[in-house]
Amino acid sequence: MTKLTAESRRHLRTQAIKSFLRRFLGHNGAWLGLLALAFFLVLAAMPGALVGPLQTAITATGDFLIPPSTQHLLGTDEIGRDVLNLIVHGARTSLTIALVSTVISLIVGITVGMTSGYYGGRIDAWLMRTTDFFFVIPSFVLALVITPVVLEVIGRGGDILGFRPSLFVIILVIGSTSWAFVARIVRSQTLSLRERQFVERARVVGTNDLNIMVHHLLPLLVPQVAANGALVVANAIYTETALSFLGLGDPLQPSWGTLLSLAERAGAASSGAWWYFGAPGLCVLIVSLGFVLVGNALDDTFNPRRRAIP
Amino acid sequence: MPDAPDILRLENLQVHFPGRGGVLDHILGRPSAAVRAVDGVDLAVRRGEIVAIVGESGSGKSTLGRVITKLIQPTGGRLLFDGDDVTSMKGFSALRPYRHRVQMIFQDAYQALNPRHTVFDIVAEPLRSLRLVTDHTQLTQRVRQSHAAAGLNPPEEFFARFPHELSGGQRQRVVIAGALAVAPDLIVADEPVSMLDVSIRAQILQVLMDLRQQRNMALLFITHDLPVAWLIADRIAVMYLGRVVETGTADDITFRPRHPYTVALRNATPHVRGHSDREKLPALKGEIPSAARIPNGCRFHPRCPLAFARCREDAPPTIEVGPEHTTACWLMK
Amino acid sequence: MKNPCQQAKAPILAVEGLAVDYRLRGSSLPTIRDVSFEIQAGEAVALVGESGSGKTTTAMAIAGLLPPNAAVSGGEVRYRGDRLPIDDDAAMRPHRWSEISVVFQGAMNALNPVHRIIKQIAEPCQLQLGMSRDEAIARARELLELVGISAERGRAYPHELSGGMRQRVMIAMALACSPSIVIGDEPTTALDVITQAQILKLLTALRSQLNLALILITHDLSVVAECCDRVMIMYAGRLVEDGSVADIFANPKHPYTKLLIESIPNPEHGKRMVRPIPGDPPTLQHRPSGCAFRSRCPSAMPVCATEVPNLKRWEQGRVACYLHPPMKHEEKALANA
Ligand SMILES: Nc1ncnc2c1ncn2[C@@H]1O[C@H](COP(=O)(O)OP(=O)(O)O)[C@@H](O)[C@H]1O
Ligand SMILES: Nc1ncnc2c1ncn2[C@@H]1O[C@H](COP(=O)(O)OP(=O)(O)O)[C@@H](O)[C@H]1O
Ligand SMILES: [Mg+2]
Ligand SMILES: [Mg+2]
Repeated sequence: MTKLTAESRRHLRTQAIKSFLRRFLGHNGAWLGLLALAFFLVLAAMPGALVGPLQTAITATGDFLIPPSTQHLLGTDEIGRDVLNLIVHGARTSLTIALVSTVISLIVGITVGMTSGYYGGRIDAWLMRTTDFFFVIPSFVLALVITPVVLEVIGRGGDILGFRPSLFVIILVIGSTSWAFVARIVRSQTLSLRERQFVERARVVGTNDLNIMVHHLLPLLVPQVAANGALVVANAIYTETALSFLGLGDPLQPSWGTLLSLAERAGAASSGAWWYFGAPGLCVLIVSLGFVLVGNALDDTFNPRRRAIP
Repeated sequence: MPDAPDILRLENLQVHFPGRGGVLDHILGRPSAAVRAVDGVDLAVRRGEIVAIVGESGSGKSTLGRVITKLIQPTGGRLLFDGDDVTSMKGFSALRPYRHRVQMIFQDAYQALNPRHTVFDIVAEPLRSLRLVTDHTQLTQRVRQSHAAAGLNPPEEFFARFPHELSGGQRQRVVIAGALAVAPDLIVADEPVSMLDVSIRAQILQVLMDLRQQRNMALLFITHDLPVAWLIADRIAVMYLGRVVETGTADDITFRPRHPYTVALRNATPHVRGHSDREKLPALKGEIPSAARIPNGCRFHPRCPLAFARCREDAPPTIEVGPEHTTACWLMK
Repeated sequence: MKNPCQQAKAPILAVEGLAVDYRLRGSSLPTIRDVSFEIQAGEAVALVGESGSGKTTTAMAIAGLLPPNAAVSGGEVRYRGDRLPIDDDAAMRPHRWSEISVVFQGAMNALNPVHRIIKQIAEPCQLQLGMSRDEAIARARELLELVGISAERGRAYPHELSGGMRQRVMIAMALACSPSIVIGDEPTTALDVITQAQILKLLTALRSQLNLALILITHDLSVVAECCDRVMIMYAGRLVEDGSVADIFANPKHPYTKLLIESIPNPEHGKRMVRPIPGDPPTLQHRPSGCAFRSRCPSAMPVCATEVPNLKRWEQGRVACYLHPPMKHEEKALANA
């Protein structure tokens, strides 16, 4: 192809991206959501530089359960660790779990949903039955089943990419319970896309099924998947919190959910130590709300005619 | 051309879709009648010939096109391509040589083009999918040639565009260029001009007529417009409710139609310069029945102004009424 | 047949110098310009042009139904001599449907799928004419019979009806308030020839039965031959020719009209060929200066590039082309200089 057309193609692409951004950022919600997420991503990216290394019972710097002060902006916990320090380190754990499990659930969900919708018939029936199983299975029960398996495979002590095995349990559990939602959405989209005439043309010109799915259907699924992917992350944050709160978290690498669980065990609620459970609780709320806002704005941008549910 | 060998031959071809009864039928377990979209079609297309299929909507023309391009499987009869029985051929790799030789043009070019693909990728898709080229230079070369043959000049100007940046006529040319890229022996064109403006329509018809001249490519041209069929085709087959009711040369069908349905089609066609010589046959009443409820006897009899007792009982056989002119009507017996 | 020059009767509808702009991404695009015509009571006039030429915009402007990003930037529409408030939706309400009504392009596919058609016809009767429910149903049954659907079929849902039947329903809805002008926007474009013939026959019958004036919008010249008295040809937002059907077909004057007729395959012509008009019609963003048709016109002259030709009376009709009336030599030299 000539240089000129390659250039004009690039030009078209930048134009398209610009117009997308203009519409996307036209939503107030998008701004709010992005700001919140950017803030927490910065925290997660460099916790060490911001608040120093993660404090332990030995390196704790404060007294037990003292309320917020200039020295400890968010107070301390029952063994004297700085809650701000814990929160910032927790951001990294929580966000990593949420994002990695979302990637897993998107990959599995898109593959299953697209195969199911494209082939239909018996394949569809079986895949959808499987999907429904994962759709309804409680994540806690699944976690109980998966935990021994993972610990057996990885071993209790080691760590992978700086994360401890029990975090992988949580990632796996969230990934395998939330892909069903994605698969359902992708399937219904695929069902209508495969009736489109360009799919028929692709078959006539000899394109095989895999290429039809990858080159024709997938690009058109991106908007839906992106918008819902943000909701999947929000959901993953909640699930992570719930699982950790129930005691599946790793106390040596605390996430926000783990902190909530510790706070509960320390009796923070009854002893009036509101900062101890309030800080991680608020973080969970803000981050998941941020993803929901971004997701809704994406949805609005891609499907301007269908207003998002208020 | 009359002595050229057949490139395509349909023998008693049938496509029946399983009936979709109402919800009530479903609950009560009542069987619903099959939709007999194509119900015993015999037709031959010779090498390099243009045959038009004419009929009102619901007569099974598109279904016939889809079964010939192997988008759906026939439920009965035989489909012969260049002498080989391809009736039950299926699967991606088995069909590859067939796809190389049979291509399709669609009614709505906008729907037939992926909105996210550039014109270059669209026209190159058959070459890539069927692995007909080995390197990029060759690919570009073939794509450029196809553009030119479909009247997209200069080709480079269109390569990077997306379908929504083209006019309706240009979009249809892109579909044609894609079909031409593999140099097929037969193109099935399903109402390729009915969505286009009259002035653009003539351009596309001209492109197709030129191509036949240059490439000796056969064309099965589906339309509901008799003058368009007359213009482009060597022979015309008139279809009604899943059957071919009359075949003949374009002139025979247009000027000397024998089947009452063909006559009705001709009378319904608006003419630019009045309608001096048209016989005053009463206009067709009512609508084409559903393909799930095909009348007994001659399937046209409930709407036929000339029907008599026999038409209600027996289906008429196909009768030769002249050289290359056949019709299925009891009046000709 | 009516002669467009004959001014004896007062026209029922007069459009004068109508101009409409669309606002698109901040810029205002002239879409139709200087559209002027008159229609007598009971007359059937076709408005013919390629898609994008502004036919629908013209119809919507006359009915006061332009979308919010459109603005009437000039001209006026008079109904029986009175100026219609076409840019004021509320003021237009008493006129719409009871004087001028529209069968919208493609609307037959937009019938509400969950309501029986009888209800959908009765509803506007209730709202517009203030009828009771029973009266409205009775009126709807009457309308259905009028368009050739038995009243019992009124219990059907839209998806149970064929395209032709749904188009009949749309016509029934347009007739609900007994208008004297009906604008049909491409009423047969999506239908096959047999159904098209039936719908055109119905419109012709209704016209004489109810003394309707009919504006039939289409891109297909061949459909107007049998059911219209007069044809107006539109190109890139302007009328380029106006004349009786017989005149237009026998003796087209504008090069565009000529080419349009020649591009229709015509078996009665004998020769198996068409002459396509080269090129595409100009888009809204790229309307050329001067005569918009000149880039596709075989007889374009230098003068065509400079100034838009006006729609002038010529012989029996009107035409906007520098070929008519033919210029004298010295005039031509002057114009081309
Ligand atoms: N996939 C399908 N399932 C069931 N019925 C179908 C299907 N495709 C077409 N039909 C029916 O077959 C008949 C013929 O349709 P079609 O081939 O589209 O006719 P045409 O192209 O001549 O208008 C119609 O009655 C239509 O409803
Ligand atoms: N709502 C709209 N906003 C902007 N442009 C429009 C709108 N509707 C129509 N147009 C443009 O106005 C021109 C005339 O359109 P239209 O009146 O629909 O033409 P026609 O009915 O002859 O096909 C076209 O170029 C079309 O793209
Ligand atoms: Mg069809
Ligand atoms: Mg229009």
